[in-house]
Amino acid sequence: MRFLALGVDHRSAPASVREALAFDGEKRERGLRHLVSEFPGLEAVVLSTCNRVELHLAADDLDGVPHRDEVARFLSRFHQCPLEFFVGHLRDYPDEQAVRHLFRVAASLESLVLGEGQILGQVKEAYQAAIHARTVGPILHSVFQNALRVGKKVREVTGLDQGKVSVASVAVDLARDVFDSFADKTVLVIGAGKMAELTLTHLAALKPGRVVIVNRNPERARLMAERFQGNPRPFDQLFNALVEADLVVSTTASDQPIVGLELFTRVQQARRNRLVLILDLAIPRDFDSSIGELDQVLLYNVDDLNGQAELNRRARRQGIEMAQAIIESETLACLNALRHQRAAGELQRMLGARFDEIRQRELERLFAARPDLSEADRQAIAHMTHRLQNQFLHQPRAALRSAVAETPHGDQPHPILTAVRHLFGLGPHRETVKPVG
Amino acid sequence: MDRLQVLCFAGTYALALASDLARVVVRAPLRWYATLTLTAIGFAVHTAFLLHRLVVGNALQAPTVFESFLLVAWLVAATTLYLSVRASRKTAVGIFLLPIVLGLAGAAAFAPRASWADWGGWAAFWGTVHGLFLLVGAAASAVAFAAGLMYLLQARRLKLKQPIRFGFVLPSLEQSERLNRGGVAVAFPTLTIGLVIGVILGWAMRANDRATISWTDPKVLSGLAMWLVFAVLAHAQFRWAMRGRRVMILSIIAFGFLIFALVGVDLLLPTAHGVPGHEDPARAATSRLTSPDDLSDTIEFTSKTLTLPSPLRSLPIPDLGMMSPFPSANPRPSPAFPTKPGRSAS
Repeated sequence: MRFLALGVDHRSAPASVREALAFDGEKRERGLRHLVSEFPGLEAVVLSTCNRVELHLAADDLDGVPHRDEVARFLSRFHQCPLEFFVGHLRDYPDEQAVRHLFRVAASLESLVLGEGQILGQVKEAYQAAIHARTVGPILHSVFQNALRVGKKVREVTGLDQGKVSVASVAVDLARDVFDSFADKTVLVIGAGKMAELTLTHLAALKPGRVVIVNRNPERARLMAERFQGNPRPFDQLFNALVEADLVVSTTASDQPIVGLELFTRVQQARRNRLVLILDLAIPRDFDSSIGELDQVLLYNVDDLNGQAELNRRARRQGIEMAQAIIESETLACLNALRHQRAAGELQRMLGARFDEIRQRELERLFAARPDLSEADRQAIAHMTHRLQNQFLHQPRAALRSAVAETPHGDQPHPILTAVRHLFGLGPHRETVKPVG
Repeated sequence: MDRLQVLCFAGTYALALASDLARVVVRAPLRWYATLTLTAIGFAVHTAFLLHRLVVGNALQAPTVFESFLLVAWLVAATTLYLSVRASRKTAVGIFLLPIVLGLAGAAAFAPRASWADWGGWAAFWGTVHGLFLLVGAAASAVAFAAGLMYLLQARRLKLKQPIRFGFVLPSLEQSERLNRGGVAVAFPTLTIGLVIGVILGWAMRANDRATISWTDPKVLSGLAMWLVFAVLAHAQFRWAMRGRRVMILSIIAFGFLIFALVGVDLLLPTAHGVPGHEDPARAATSRLTSPDDLSDTIEFTSKTLTLPSPLRSLPIPDLGMMSPFPSANPRPSPAFPTKPGRSAS
C-alpha cells in the first residue's frame, strides 16, 4: 500500500501558479477520471482551494502509485501548462508523510490563517467529489474519513479555532458579547472609507435592524448606504444619529476627535443611558477616550481590537504543539489500522484459497476412485463439501472481522491474525505497507 | 432516608457543575451534552422527589422548611435547565446558577423536617399561599442575583478589554440584563404579595386571639428592610440613570437582604418568628438555649393541640413560621408550654 500527496500551496507557489493548476468546477471530476484512467488501480482525491492545489493518491500495490515526475507530467498535460512553470513549486509527501500532511491540512495547521474553519469543509467537498467520480477506494475512504474526524478533534481539543484574528471579526465578536439580538438595533457608521466598508460587511452578518451612514461627503454616504441597504444622513445630524444608535463604527480621517465627552454625555442622556458599543477604528481617534469611562458605554479603538486579535492569535499558536501531538498519534493509528485491515483481508483470501485447494484435491481423488458416480452425485458431493467448507470457515472469518474492527496497538499484528495464520498454516506475514510507529 | 434522596439529585447537580467547570480543559461538545444531561437527570429526580412529598407526604397542607428549600432549589434548577438549552453551548450559565441550587439543597438536608402549618381552616390555606409567594419570590430573586453577577463580570471584562479566559463565555450584557429584569419583575410583586398576606394573617390571628409575634421582631423588621430594598430595585429598573451596573449591584444586595431575612435572622438574631407560642424575642432567645434533646419533642409539639394557661384558650398550636417559608431552623418549645404528653391535649 502506497500513498503520495503532491501539489502547491500558498507557501510554495505564487497565486499565478496556483491558478494555473487549479481544478475548478467540472475540471476536478474530469481531472480525476483522466488520472485513474492513466494510472489504473489508483485511488485519487483532488483538493483545490484558493490557497492550495493538491492530489492525494493511494494504491494497494507497492508500485501502484505513480512517481512524482509522472504526476507532474500529467498536470502539465491536463492543464496545458509548461512543466517548468510549476515543477519547481511542487511539494510531495510520500507514504505516511502524505497521511500526516492531509491531517495537518484538515486541522488547518497548513492554512494561511491558523485555525480557520473553511478548510475542513473544502476537504470534505474534495472527498465527496472524488466519491462522485468513483475514484475513491477503501484506502482513501479510510484516510479521508479519519482526516475529517481529526480536523474536528484538533479544533475541539486545542481551541485552535477560538477567538477571531482580524480586526473586523473581533468587532463582530465584541458586538455579540454586548447584544443578544440585532434585529432591533441600529448600527451607525461614521465615515464611508474602506475600513468602514470592511467592518460593515462583517457586521452585516449580524443582520442589524437598521444601518445609518453619516459622512461629510453625502454622495459617498449615499453609495455606501445603497450597498448595505442603509440610510444616509448628513454630517450635521450626527448628534441625532448617535442618539438612535446602539453600535457605532467610526472611521473618519479627521485629525481631531469629532465626539468629545461633553457631547456624548448629552447623547447618553438623550438616549436614556442605553447600552452602546463604540468601535473607533479611526487614526487619529474620533471619540475622546474618556467617553469609555461613562457607565453603559463600551469604547474600543483600533489598538484595543488589534490587541484582542493578537491575543487570539497567540492563544491559537499555543495550541499548535498539542495539535501536532494529536496529528502524530492519529497518523500512526490510521496507518496501523489500514495495515491491519489489509493484513486481515489478505488472510481471508488466503484462508479461502487454502480450503478451496484442499477441497478440490480431495474431490478429484474421490471422483478418480469412484468413476461410477453419476454427474448428479458428483455435483451433490461437490456442493456438500462446499457447504462444509463454509461452515468450517465461518468462525475463523468472523474472528478475523472482529479483529479488524478492534483498534490496533502498535505495529504488531493482532493476535487473532497470527493465530489464524499458524492454525491454518498460511505461511509468514507479508508486509503490504511499511510499518510506522 | 430523605437526606439520601436529596444527596442523589444534589450529587447529580454537583456532577453537572463539575462538568460545566471542566470547560477549562475540555472543549469538546460532549462536555456540554454531559452537563445538560446531568442537570436534566438531577432535575427529573428532584421533580419526582417533590411530587412524592406532595402526594404521599401531604406537603402542601403541612409544608416544612426542608420542602421550602427544595422547592426554591427546584425553581432555580428549572431556570438553569431552560437557560442552558436556550443559550449558546459555550455560555457558562450553570456555573452561576447550579451553586445556588446546591446551596439550597444542602441547606434543605440540614433543615428541620417538622411541619409548621398544622393549623387547619383559613389560616392553613393563607399560610401556604403566603409561603408559596415568598418561595417563588426567593427563586426569582436568586435568578436576578445570578444574572446580576454574570452582567457585572462580563461588563468588567469588556471595560478592561480582557479576553475570554479558560473558556468561560458569559451571556451578552443584554441577555443578562433581560434575565435580571425578568427576575426582579417576578420577585418584587411575589415577595410583596407574600409579605402582605403574612401581615394580614398576623392581624387576623391577633383578632382571633391566636398567638402571633411582635411587629418589632427582627424577622418582621428584616422582612420590611428586604421589601424596601426590593422596592428600590424595582424603582431603579425604571430609572434610566441607574441602568446597568447599578441595578445589578442592587440586585445582589437585595438577594443578600432576602437571604438574611429568610435564613440569617433565624440563625443570628433572637426572633420569635418560627418559634411556636412566642411573642417575646427575649423568650425566644431563651428557648434557643434549651437542650438539643428537646428537638425530638418539637416535632411532637408542632402537631399537638395544647391546653394553654389562662388567659389563652385551648387552640391548635401554630408554628409562626408560616409567616415565612423559613421559620427558625431550630425551633424550641417554651418552658411555659410544656410538651410532655401528659400536659397536652389532642
